[in-house]
Amino acid sequence: MSKQNNMSILLKGLLRENPVFVLILGTCPTLATTSTVDGALGMGLATMAVLICSNIVISLLRKFIPDTVRIPCYIVVIAGFVTIVQMLIQAFIPDLYKTLGVYLALITVNCIILGRAEMFAGKNSVGKSALDGIGMGIGFTIALLSMAIIREVIGTGSFAGNEISFLVENGLTIGFLAKAPGGLLVYGLLIAVVNKITKGKLIKKKEFSCAGCPSAEACNGGCAEAVKEGE
Amino acid sequence: MKNYIKSIISLTVIIALVTVALSVTNFVTAPIIEKNAGAAANEALLVVMPDGGDFTQVDMTQYTLPESVIEAYTASNGGCVVKLSATGYGPDLIIMCGVDADGNVTGAVCLSSNETLGAEKTYGDTLKGATIDTVEDIATVSGATMTTSAYRNAVKDALNTAIILGGGSADLRSDEEILQDNLKAALPAGENFTEVFICEKLENVSGIYEAENGAGFVYVTTVNDEELFVGVDANGTVVSEATDDVKANIEAAAKIMLSTSLKEIDISKYADMPSNVEKAYKTNSGNYVLEIHASGFGKNGDNYYNPSGEYIYIKIALTNKGEIISCQTTKQAETDGVGSICKDKEFSSQYVGKDETTYTDVDIVAGVTLTTKGYQKGIGQAIKAVKIMEGVA
Amino acid sequence: MEVKALIIILMSSVLVDNYVLNRFLGICPFLGVSKKVNQSVGMGAAVIFVMLVATAVTWPIQTFILNPLNMGYMQTIAFILIIATLVQFIEIFLKKVIPALHKSLGVYLPLITTNCAVLGVTINNITDGYNFLESMISSLGVGLGFLLAMVLFSGMRSRIEESEVPESFKGLPVTLVAASFISMAFFGFAGIVENILA
Repeated sequence: MSKQNNMSILLKGLLRENPVFVLILGTCPTLATTSTVDGALGMGLATMAVLICSNIVISLLRKFIPDTVRIPCYIVVIAGFVTIVQMLIQAFIPDLYKTLGVYLALITVNCIILGRAEMFAGKNSVGKSALDGIGMGIGFTIALLSMAIIREVIGTGSFAGNEISFLVENGLTIGFLAKAPGGLLVYGLLIAVVNKITKGKLIKKKEFSCAGCPSAEACNGGCAEAVKEGE
Repeated sequence: MKNYIKSIISLTVIIALVTVALSVTNFVTAPIIEKNAGAAANEALLVVMPDGGDFTQVDMTQYTLPESVIEAYTASNGGCVVKLSATGYGPDLIIMCGVDADGNVTGAVCLSSNETLGAEKTYGDTLKGATIDTVEDIATVSGATMTTSAYRNAVKDALNTAIILGGGSADLRSDEEILQDNLKAALPAGENFTEVFICEKLENVSGIYEAENGAGFVYVTTVNDEELFVGVDANGTVVSEATDDVKANIEAAAKIMLSTSLKEIDISKYADMPSNVEKAYKTNSGNYVLEIHASGFGKNGDNYYNPSGEYIYIKIALTNKGEIISCQTTKQAETDGVGSICKDKEFSSQYVGKDETTYTDVDIVAGVTLTTKGYQKGIGQAIKAVKIMEGVA
Repeated sequence: MEVKALIIILMSSVLVDNYVLNRFLGICPFLGVSKKVNQSVGMGAAVIFVMLVATAVTWPIQTFILNPLNMGYMQTIAFILIIATLVQFIEIFLKKVIPALHKSLGVYLPLITTNCAVLGVTINNITDGYNFLESMISSLGVGLGFLLAMVLFSGMRSRIEESEVPESFKGLPVTLVAASFISMAFFGFAGIVENILA
């Protein structure tokens, strides 16, 4: 891993190790905030900001933090950045704050962030960790956006809040896609599509999904199994 | 041990650093967030008063406001916005109403409701422009009478609130309180008045109330199309101010009422007596007082539509010719807000003065057909009972 | 009236506002552990337990410590640390005192630390302005809803495991599609509380 060049660190998050479609991390916000493009973009960027900051800080502190209290320290740092982002959004983009609601605070328990801290930032230099944060953040945002575009355009017949009159007038919308069941359906279909496109080219997923996930030992590899079966 | 201490120290240091970072951010953002929240609240109030400008919340402890008021705000244009709760058909409605400086409703919206018909969603538009003098005249929505009249009462309270906030005084008494106050004014010695059932034909008397403490009665009469409350002492002498004509009329009525007495009739001796007649009395002047029941929605014959399964109970006085002297619903368990109109005085008094041929002229109320039809049928049976007892049937 | 309000809170968090199927909180363990019915029951019971204990601790901390000190912004950090610590304590406690229970629930406990449903319900209880009793009832409802969703879904999954699906749908994709159907079924509960209980 140490020999990876900077470009590949940045790019791997986009597809090869896409946190949403390949690593299957951060499922909650992926499903909950993608009924509108605005919400998805906001959630993606907020998560990216927290991810970059926490990656940098954790990488800086990696020599000082004793191994035994590693996870609690990471959680405190992450929760701190989440709260800062939350306050900034509440102050400067109140509409987005209203849309995202409790899901902003829940970035804290988004596996992507703790996963990247444990898997990458805790072992790599500050620069590389920042790049990893940017790459993963962009990958996450793109994944959320692609879900949201499908759900908002087909579900409510609008794009980022602007009505697409052609769809609405001709009754071409499928309302349930914008609701909870639609989120699960679109997510399932997109993972299937990614499986189809990248078949055989993806690196061993198990290593990346579970080794980095702090709850891996407890989940009995449940997530990994699910991913593995998808290969 | 050394590792243990190091762990605790590093975790504590990190928590301390994060706390500092957070409090700094909070220090910067808190005022902005508060300003945003204020702006959002202001915007919500503008819905019912588009040109309200800035709003200031009223300290409710400074004023005596109607009980339904939850919050009140004064607007920079001199008007005010009031948030009220109203009890409709189901759980409470929360109503927000704007009133401008001239006392006109600028808008009313229903913020939350569980009502079934949805009439509360648009009813606010109907009330726009109403004033304290006209609000009572705005029609309720038929089929959603309970909800819309609760809505209208809330808006009336809002208009009263506006008057109070503007330094004026408003009449916040309930109808019952107003009645009791009027009665008390007519007979100052009396307390706690209850209505007397009229079983004699009286000229120009629409109601009689008796004071609980035995001080006397108050007769309600009509002079120049206006109701006049006349106090009468226990001996039948008029004690309040009135013209000689009125005095003479009321004293004549009081004399009849004081001398009247009821004697129960054994109805079992009449074979044809309608089955809904429960008790019958005859006055010494030859009138009849019947206690009857009628089928409503609650108990329609033997069909139980409503779990209460109750009849409507009616007390009715008739002359020996079968003309109705008075009519009063004594007990009912009809659906609240629908069939329960049968307990209203406005409803039962429609039958006063009617007889065998005219009692069916009273309208059956649409949407309350079962109750009002059953009521009418019960009254028809009472008239028939009188004819049987008089031996003319 | 009081009891009725509590029943409404309970029923709406179990059926209408189901955290897993409607709000997508706790979806990871839902997808990961719901393969067998007994596992689902174990996980669900552990979640109910932790949610109740977490609420019993976080509500007083928010109300009596953070609010008076004007430190509402420490909510997320405080709550997540409390939950993580609680889970550790509960595990140690169960191991020593009730080994049988530890055996059945223990394996699921660490997973709950990063279960967003637990953090979610404690924060939501505060945001919704519930008092202590209402908070506990709402946590119980959310936990029961989680258990219900898990158990229902595990039954469905055992069917899927045996059916033939296209290659690219195998595993997670078809599981998500199936979850979508369960979620749709729960949509039918919308309005039940409002129209039947209220």
